[in-house]
Amino acid sequence: MKKKIISGLLALSMLCTAAVSLTACNSSSDSSSSQPSASSTEAKVKSIDDLAGAKIGVQLGTTGDIYASDYEKEGSTIERYNKGADAVLALTQGKIDCVIIDNEPAKAFVAANQGLKILDEPFAEEEYAICVAKNNTELRDNINKALKELREDGTIDKIINNYIGDDTKGKTPYETPEGTDTSKGELHMATNATFEPYEYQEGGKVVGIDAMIAQAICDKLGYKLVIDDMDFDAIITAVQSGKADFGMAGMTVNEERKQSINFTDTYTKAKQVIIVNG
Amino acid sequence: MEQFFSEIAASFERTFITDDRWLQLLAGLGVTVEITLLAAVIGVVLGFLIAIVRSTHDMQLMGRKCSKPSDYLLKVLNVICNIYITVIRGTPVVIQLMIIYYVVFASLREGIIAAIIAFGLNSAAYVAEIVRSGIMSIDKGQFEASRSLGFDYKSTMIHVVIPQAFKNILPALGNEFIVLVKETSVAGYVALKDLTYVGNLIRSRTYEAFFPLITIAIIYLIIVLILTFFLKKLERRLRNSDH
Repeated sequence: MKKKIISGLLALSMLCTAAVSLTACNSSSDSSSSQPSASSTEAKVKSIDDLAGAKIGVQLGTTGDIYASDYEKEGSTIERYNKGADAVLALTQGKIDCVIIDNEPAKAFVAANQGLKILDEPFAEEEYAICVAKNNTELRDNINKALKELREDGTIDKIINNYIGDDTKGKTPYETPEGTDTSKGELHMATNATFEPYEYQEGGKVVGIDAMIAQAICDKLGYKLVIDDMDFDAIITAVQSGKADFGMAGMTVNEERKQSINFTDTYTKAKQVIIVNG
Repeated sequence: MEQFFSEIAASFERTFITDDRWLQLLAGLGVTVEITLLAAVIGVVLGFLIAIVRSTHDMQLMGRKCSKPSDYLLKVLNVICNIYITVIRGTPVVIQLMIIYYVVFASLREGIIAAIIAFGLNSAAYVAEIVRSGIMSIDKGQFEASRSLGFDYKSTMIHVVIPQAFKNILPALGNEFIVLVKETSVAGYVALKDLTYVGNLIRSRTYEAFFPLITIAIIYLIIVLILTFFLKKLERRLRNSDH
């Protein structure tokens, strides 16, 4: 008899926990579906001045992360995600108040997610360059020379226009010229292909502005380009340790990075922007 | 040679002293310990409940027909527990963590709660099977003797079976806790500032792998050593109570 009562009680308690967890699931998914509208009515960050004290999402190790980290002193919480897309997802769910990220990927994220917008005022201006190991000055000089030629014959502008700008998109891709010699072997490029339009995955391949410029450089120098996709914060270490020959990932030139690696000349300008719910 | 040492010293300073990074490491250690302890509590409580349902079912209903309503209930519960264990053990913990963070508790702003629940639920599935193996390892004679002395099923469980089972499963349980400590290193996936995350953060600022990674590894090792020390102590004490 007692056995029956005990097992009955046990059964009841398990059912209760199951029921509670189920309702918890329901209520949380309910509130999540109502979340965007709720947060859009009370968007916490409306300008750069509101960043102090806000919960800011960034991608670990990016310049957005480094700049945003200055706000930690002013009471902001910095949530660093492994991928920019994860930070944006957290923003759409109201887990954070804003995301600081490069302008072009920001546009791609906003286009893909309803209810997000980019604040008009840019957070910071910056310049992108390719990074090379400190002891490999020869490669740096060669890349600089190739970059100079590509800039002068308009190839770099063409490649950038191929990805940025509504009128020119997809119209001026760079194609490897016939009979290009790749006899010097392979050059490994370290990148983080989650950064449209600079580098992203398409049909199992890494494409984008950086990938195309890298291809043009390798064609000029006579190497075969091999792209290694990795976490952004692993790129500099990979280049430093010789696992990759150069790193190209919408990488901003800054003093901290210069202590560990060399930068080539810059190839394009960019800016950091703030994405908010709105 | 001198240059080599001054480089090491500079690298050490960048990793630990600049920006009070040792404080960040300490904070990361705190988060790791917090997640582990609370997840272990959830894991043990839920794990024991599941194990009791599963072993009660196995002992009372295995190969028998249900005769009373509570038997059917037990059967249903057993099926639920089985599904739970299968799903949790069959999927990677980092995926479970992200499902809890981005899907189940999508509107939750505190990632740490999602992590505690995710690691707790994960651990519960393993603890449940460990506890069940302990309960099933106790000789049937113990049950029968206890029942013949007038204990009911519940008292038999509490006073006779579980104490003996606990002693048997302690090493396996310790194993599970050690795994749990190390599994929490994926908490950075949901932007939690745990030990591994702080290591990655420092690496992303100094672009040096050696000191951050080795430090993190040593800290995890120390946590596990402390845990092992207490588990051994507990094991010895329980063995001493044997006569």
